Amino acid sequence: MSDLSVVRKSILPEAGDSWASIAGRELPGLSEQEAVSSLQSWNLHVYMRAPAPEGSPRAGNPILPSDVIFVEPPLAAS
Amino acid sequence: MYDLIIRNGTVVDGSGLPGYQADVAVTGNRIAKIGRITEEAGKEVDATGKVVAPGFIDPHTHFDAQLLWDGAAKPALSHGVTTIVPGNCSLSLAPLKADHRMRLVGMFNQIEEMPYKAFREGVVWDWETFSEYITRIRKGLAINVAPLVGHSVIRLWVMNDAATERTATDEEIAEMQDVLRECLDAGAAGLSTSYVDMDEKLQPVPSRYAEAREVEALAEVLGEYGRMLQIVPEFYDPDLTIARLDQLAELSIKYQIPTTFSPLFVNSDNVASVDKVMERVDEQFARGARVWPQVQTRPIDISFSFAVPSLLFIRFRNWYNIMRFGTHEEIRAHFADPENRKARAAEVAELKDLWAGLVLRQVKTDANQKYVGKTLGEIARDRGVTPVEAMIDISVEEDLDAHFLAASMGHNDDGRVARLLNHPRVHIGASDGGAHILSFSTYGDTGYLLARFVRDLKTVRMEDAIKKVTSDTASIWGIPERGLLQKGYIADITVFDPEKIDRGVEKFVQDVPGDGSRYVRDSHGVDTVIVGGGIAWSARDGYQDARGEILPGARESQPELVAAE
Repeated sequence: MSDLSVVRKSILPEAGDSWASIAGRELPGLSEQEAVSSLQSWNLHVYMRAPAPEGSPRAGNPILPSDVIFVEPPLAAS
Repeated sequence: MYDLIIRNGTVVDGSGLPGYQADVAVTGNRIAKIGRITEEAGKEVDATGKVVAPGFIDPHTHFDAQLLWDGAAKPALSHGVTTIVPGNCSLSLAPLKADHRMRLVGMFNQIEEMPYKAFREGVVWDWETFSEYITRIRKGLAINVAPLVGHSVIRLWVMNDAATERTATDEEIAEMQDVLRECLDAGAAGLSTSYVDMDEKLQPVPSRYAEAREVEALAEVLGEYGRMLQIVPEFYDPDLTIARLDQLAELSIKYQIPTTFSPLFVNSDNVASVDKVMERVDEQFARGARVWPQVQTRPIDISFSFAVPSLLFIRFRNWYNIMRFGTHEEIRAHFADPENRKARAAEVAELKDLWAGLVLRQVKTDANQKYVGKTLGEIARDRGVTPVEAMIDISVEEDLDAHFLAASMGHNDDGRVARLLNHPRVHIGASDGGAHILSFSTYGDTGYLLARFVRDLKTVRMEDAIKKVTSDTASIWGIPERGLLQKGYIADITVFDPEKIDRGVEKFVQDVPGDGSRYVRDSHGVDTVIVGGGIAWSARDGYQDARGEILPGARESQPELVAAE
């Protein structure tokens, strides 16, 4: 999509992705804690999601396979 | 001799060209002639002073359940709507295994507010496959139906409980492709999916557990048929909406399919966001993608009582939980308790201006009749309490049968809405017809378009408005031979008075199976609605012929394209 004017960088999760695995892959220049914290602040639609019920295979990880995960902050308004 | 002639009307043919005086003759189910007609017909409609237009097409509805007991999708047909698209937002009623019925009913209850009792008492569950569902609703069908098949439902069919636990295997994705092909062969107009909806346990619906490769595999099948992909993106966030429409654009270009996303609301505080989304829509169309944003015509009004969970309270967890999961007695007892009353009032205190502006619209006791039509702010002053306390107290006094209206909650800036409605790359839709029946009326959006924006404000041309809801919609969805008044086309026609057309006042009626109720609006100014050449409804005689069809229909019944001689 290089011909589009503005793109806020985002990824789609890979199987089994967590905040930490995305942080390691997409923000390798930051410490894990800092990278995870940044990802969570840029993706409140996932971070603030109600937790999965206990016993669910998803318990402890709010990320869904269909989620869009932003890997940079919102772009400044032009 | 013709079967039906509509005389002396102004033909606004759906092309966007200026209207003109002409008669319209129908033979069988097709338009036989437009012009001066001296012959007679078995039936005639006097359209003097009225507009004769193609029947309106509503591309975003949830009439899936209602069609099981009401083949006219009342009152949509009486508003001039001759074709509806149910099955949006990843939810359809087929294909559906018997074991999954109550699970899907739970989703319909949570997402579309369709009461459990309506399903228990209004539905004979005699289908599983999409083809069987089509056979079931075809009986007595008075309105045309272009049904989407829901991604969540296909996932449930193939993966059972794992549909809400994990991603699909290659084999499961291949099976989903086969199931989708069966649905499309049986007459599905496309596929719907959702990135926001939750089930009855407030957990994500099955479609949200799909990886992008699963959606792409299904889009590949849609490409074999050239059919629609509809999605609900995270519409509350412009960056997320743009990310989704970029995904859609890639699928649209790669598989050469039309796509649409809904809703897109414009408010005074999100103009820049909507502009940003529309700029991206324009860019993607320039690349050759088809990514149609759906925009509704009406402002957002929400009606509610404490007896059912309202969208208005979804962000206040304690309020929503007691309304969603409590019995009638538990809800009443909860709010009657002074400590709970205090805590619940504190929980929503941040929206004090909202509560003060709510209007009490209906109660059952004589004692509170004096407050009907007043705002909670006015009632609170009279009672010496806060507006929220007044709302709680009256609900308890009325045994939860007190109804409140939150009017113009959004999408109510007429100028900005009109700008969107006039945009060449906006698809007018998103009515949600047949859904949210306990929160607001989803009927009469076309009447509102023609009354508010065309007649009163004069910000949308009549011809443009009609084109948007007829031929544009038919073209976008690939529905052949409809949406235009043209010789040889199927005779789906709406005759209305341009000086009177409107939606009626919202009212709460009890006409849902299982003694259920819903908010509806009557049509005003619509004279006659013709479906497949038969008079399906008229203001004078009510509901009549039932000639509705499934569109675009099963593969073997679709007209073949032949070269002109």
